[in-house]
Amino acid sequence: MFKEIYSEKIKGLPEFIRQMMGLVILIIVIISSFFVMNIMFGEGDDLVERMKIEEERIANEKKLSELISKLPSGILVTFDGTDHYKLTNEVYEQVCKATKLIPQRAIMGANFLNFRAHEIYTINGNKIDDTFVKWDKEKNKCFAGFTVSGNNVGVDESITVIGEALSFLSTGIDTRVYFIKNF
Amino acid sequence: MELIKKYPKVFQWLFLLVVFFALCFAIEVPETYKFIRGQAEFVKDPNQSFYVFLGKEVRYYAFDVFWRLPPLLGWLPIWINDSLFFLMNEWLPMEFWNSDTQTYKTRPLVLQITREITSIMTFLIELIREILLGGLKTIVAFTSWDWVGSNSWAKMPGLPWTVVAAGSAILAYKLSGKGLAVFAGLVMVYISIFGQWKPSMQTLSFILVAAPLSFIFGIGFGILAFKSKRVEKALYPILLVMQTMPQYAVLVPALVLFGVGDHAAVIITMIVAVPPMILLTLLGLRAVPPEVIEAGRMSGCNNWQLMFKVLIPTARRDILIGVNQVIMVCFSMAVISAFIGAKGLGFNLLLALNQLNIGLALEAGLCISLIAILLDKMSLAWANKQVDYFGNLTFYERNKSVLYFGIAVFIGVVLAYLGSFYFKQGFNYLFEVPHNKGISTADFWNRGVDWIFDTFFVYIKAFNTWLIVEVLQPMRALYLRMPAVATLVLVVGAGYIIGGIRSALVVCGLTLFIALSPWWDRALVTTYMATFGVIVSCIIGFTVGTLCFQNKHSANFMLGVCDIFQTFPSFVYLIPVMMLFGITDTSVLIAVIVYATIPATRYTIEGLRSVPMALHDAATMSGVNKFQRLTKIEFPLAFPHMMLGLNQTIVFALFMVIIGAFIGTEDLGQYILKALSDKNGAGIGLTLGICVAFIGLIFDNLIRTWVEKRKQHLGIA
Repeated sequence: MFKEIYSEKIKGLPEFIRQMMGLVILIIVIISSFFVMNIMFGEGDDLVERMKIEEERIANEKKLSELISKLPSGILVTFDGTDHYKLTNEVYEQVCKATKLIPQRAIMGANFLNFRAHEIYTINGNKIDDTFVKWDKEKNKCFAGFTVSGNNVGVDESITVIGEALSFLSTGIDTRVYFIKNF
Repeated sequence: MELIKKYPKVFQWLFLLVVFFALCFAIEVPETYKFIRGQAEFVKDPNQSFYVFLGKEVRYYAFDVFWRLPPLLGWLPIWINDSLFFLMNEWLPMEFWNSDTQTYKTRPLVLQITREITSIMTFLIELIREILLGGLKTIVAFTSWDWVGSNSWAKMPGLPWTVVAAGSAILAYKLSGKGLAVFAGLVMVYISIFGQWKPSMQTLSFILVAAPLSFIFGIGFGILAFKSKRVEKALYPILLVMQTMPQYAVLVPALVLFGVGDHAAVIITMIVAVPPMILLTLLGLRAVPPEVIEAGRMSGCNNWQLMFKVLIPTARRDILIGVNQVIMVCFSMAVISAFIGAKGLGFNLLLALNQLNIGLALEAGLCISLIAILLDKMSLAWANKQVDYFGNLTFYERNKSVLYFGIAVFIGVVLAYLGSFYFKQGFNYLFEVPHNKGISTADFWNRGVDWIFDTFFVYIKAFNTWLIVEVLQPMRALYLRMPAVATLVLVVGAGYIIGGIRSALVVCGLTLFIALSPWWDRALVTTYMATFGVIVSCIIGFTVGTLCFQNKHSANFMLGVCDIFQTFPSFVYLIPVMMLFGITDTSVLIAVIVYATIPATRYTIEGLRSVPMALHDAATMSGVNKFQRLTKIEFPLAFPHMMLGLNQTIVFALFMVIIGAFIGTEDLGQYILKALSDKNGAGIGLTLGICVAFIGLIFDNLIRTWVEKRKQHLGIA
C-alpha cells in the first residue's frame, strides 16, 4: 500500500525533479559504496601507521640525499690532522646512516689485518657475502663490516670483519665507506 | 525555478561538476603517493599490501580507497597466464601420430591443435610466397626433394615483376577503368624499381592468406548471427570490445598460443579483421528489403537457396565493403604483426624506425600506403561494380582480361628470359629488382631530416619544451590528481544524465573494471593523451570540415584526402613526426592529432551534407544569411552525425596513443609493449587491451546514447 502511494507520489513529481533525485541518489550510492570499501580494504590504522613510516622514510631519504649533495666531493674524515673535509659529530651520524656501499678498497684494507678473511676472500674470487653500515647509538660511532665465506682448503668457513668507519668517500651522488678501522 | 525547468540538463551537469570538484578538493593526495608507485610493478616491498585470491598473491601499494581503489582484479592477468600455461602444457594429454618419427607422441590437446593450425598457415603463406617470389619449398611440400632433383623443369621461378604489374593494371582496368589501371601499373613499377619487390610480395602473400580466411570466417559468423539471435547475442560483446581493442594487445596471447612468425601474424590479423566483416555482413543481410525475401520464398527457394541466391547477392555491396575493411585491417596489421616476426614491408619499416633511419622507413611506409590505397580502390570498385546479368557478350568480350593477362605473362616471361642474357654479370632486373639494389631516396630524406634539425632545432626544441612543460605536464598532473571516487561519480553521473540508469550502470561497470585493475594510473595517462589529441583534432576537423563544406569541390577534395589518409597504416604516421620532433611525447601527440583529425573532418562534412536540401531552401526563403543558416540550422541538425565523428576520433586517438608506446610514452601502451617481451605477458597484455577497449567503450556508450536521443529529439532518427 505504502509502496503504491510512494510510487504514485514519485511518478507525480515533475520530470526534472525525478531526474535530479536519481542523480543525487546515484552519487550517494557511489560515495557510500566507497565508504564501505574503505572499511573493508582501507586497512585503517595499520595503513596509516605504515604510511607514516613510509613518509618518514621518504623524508629521511630526502634529507640525507640533500645533505649528500651539499657535501664536498672527496674524502670525508671523522678525525683531525688531515687536509680532508672534517665531519662534525652530527653530520658524521647522518652520513653513516646514508651510506650503503663499501667498496673493495675499504674491504681489502680491512683484510690486511685479518689474514684468514684475506685468504678466504682471495681463494673464492674476491666474493663478498654481505656488507653493512650501522650507527651504534651507545658508542656514538659508525660501524661497517662485511662477511666473507667459502672453502678454505677443504673447510667451509665464514668470517665477519667489522670495524669503525673512520672516513667516507663522497661522490656527490652518494657516499661510500673509505676506511674501516678493524684493529 | 523557471530557469531549472527550462534547462534541466544544464543544472544536472552543473550539480555533477560541483560534486566532482568538491570531491577532488576534499580528498587530498596521500604524501606517499607517487605515479610510479600507483601500479603493481611486481616488486616485493615491506610497505606493500597483499591479498590472495584463487591461490594468486597480488601485491600493491595501498592508499585510501577514496583516492585509489585496491587492485581487486590484480589476480586476473596472473590467472590468465596460468590458465594458458595449463591449457598449453598440461590439459588433456593425448597420443598423436608423428609422421616424421613414425611414432606416437604424447601432447596436450590445445598444443596439438595450435601446432596443426600453425603448420596449415605456414603452408598457405609459403605456397603463395613461392608463387609470387619463386622457390622450391612448396613443390617439395607436394612432392619430395628427390623428385625435384630428377625433374629440373620443376624448379620454377616466381612471376617476373613485369607480369604482376601488368596483371594488376589489367585487373584495375576491368574493375574501374583507365585511371585505376594507370595507378596500379605505376604503384607496381614504383615498388619494383625502388627495390621493395621482395618485401612487398612477402607482405602481399601474408595478406592473401589472412584476407580470404577472414572473409570466410566473417561471412560465416555473420550469416549465423543473422540466422540465430543467440549467436548474435553471444557475438555482440566480443564484437563491441574488438572494435575498440588496440591491435597490439591481441599480439601477446597469440604469441603464447601460436609462437612467432608469419603464421601467428595471419592468425592475429584474422582475429582483428573478422569482427568488421561480421558486422558488415549482418548489416547487409538486415538491410535486404522484406519484399525481396518474400519474392525469393514465393519462387520456391529453400533456406539454403534463399541465403545464397537471394540474400547474399542482394547484400553484395555491404559484404564487399566488408572485404574492403578486411583488406585495410590486414595492411594496418602488416606493420604491427612485424613485432612478432612477420616478414615483409612492415618488418623493414619497424627495423628502419628502430635504427632511426627515417629515409628507409619512409620508403617502406610509402610502399605499404601505396599498396593499401591500390587495394582499397580496387575492392571499392569491385563493391560498386554492377553485374550485367543480361549482357549478350561474345567469348572475346567475356574473356578479354584473361587473354590480355595471358599475353602479359608471355611478354613478361620473354623479357625476363632476354634479361638473363643482357644482365649476365649482375641481377636480372627484368625478373626482379633485389631488395636494396633498386633506386633509393633514403639518403635524401635522411639529409633532409638532418637539415631540419640543424636549421630549426632551436624552434623545435622551444616548441617541444613549451608543449611538454606548459601544457602536457600540467594536464597529466590534473588527470592523475583525480581521486577514484570523483572520477567514478563524474563518469557514472554523465552516463545517468545522458542515457538514464541503464547507461550509468554500463559505464560504471566499464570504469570499475579499469579502476580495480592494477593500471588505473596508466589508464589516466592514456586518457589524458587521448583527450588532448581529441580536443585538438576536433577543433581542426570541425573547422576544416565546415570550411570545406562551403564549396562542393573542396568538400569532395577533402573527402578524397580523408580516404587516402585513412588507408595509411597507423604506424606510417609516426615517420614524419619523428622526422620533425624526434623521440618525444610531442611526436606521439602530433601523430595522434593527424590520425584522429581524419574522422573529425569526414564526419563534419558528411554531417553537414546530411541536412535535407528542403531545409536549406526553407531557410533561404525565410531570409537567413549563410552564417545564420550554418549556426541555426545546419550545425544543430548535423551535430548528432558530427558526434559520431567524435566517437571515431576518440577510437582513432586511443589506437594511436597505444602505438605511440613505440616512441616511449608512460601509458597503458607502454605496458602492452613490455608484455610482448615478457614470458608471462599474455595475461597482462590481454587485461591491458581490455582496459583500453573499455576506455573507448565508455565514450562510445555515452556518445551513441546521446546521439540517439538527440536524433529522436530532432525527429531525424
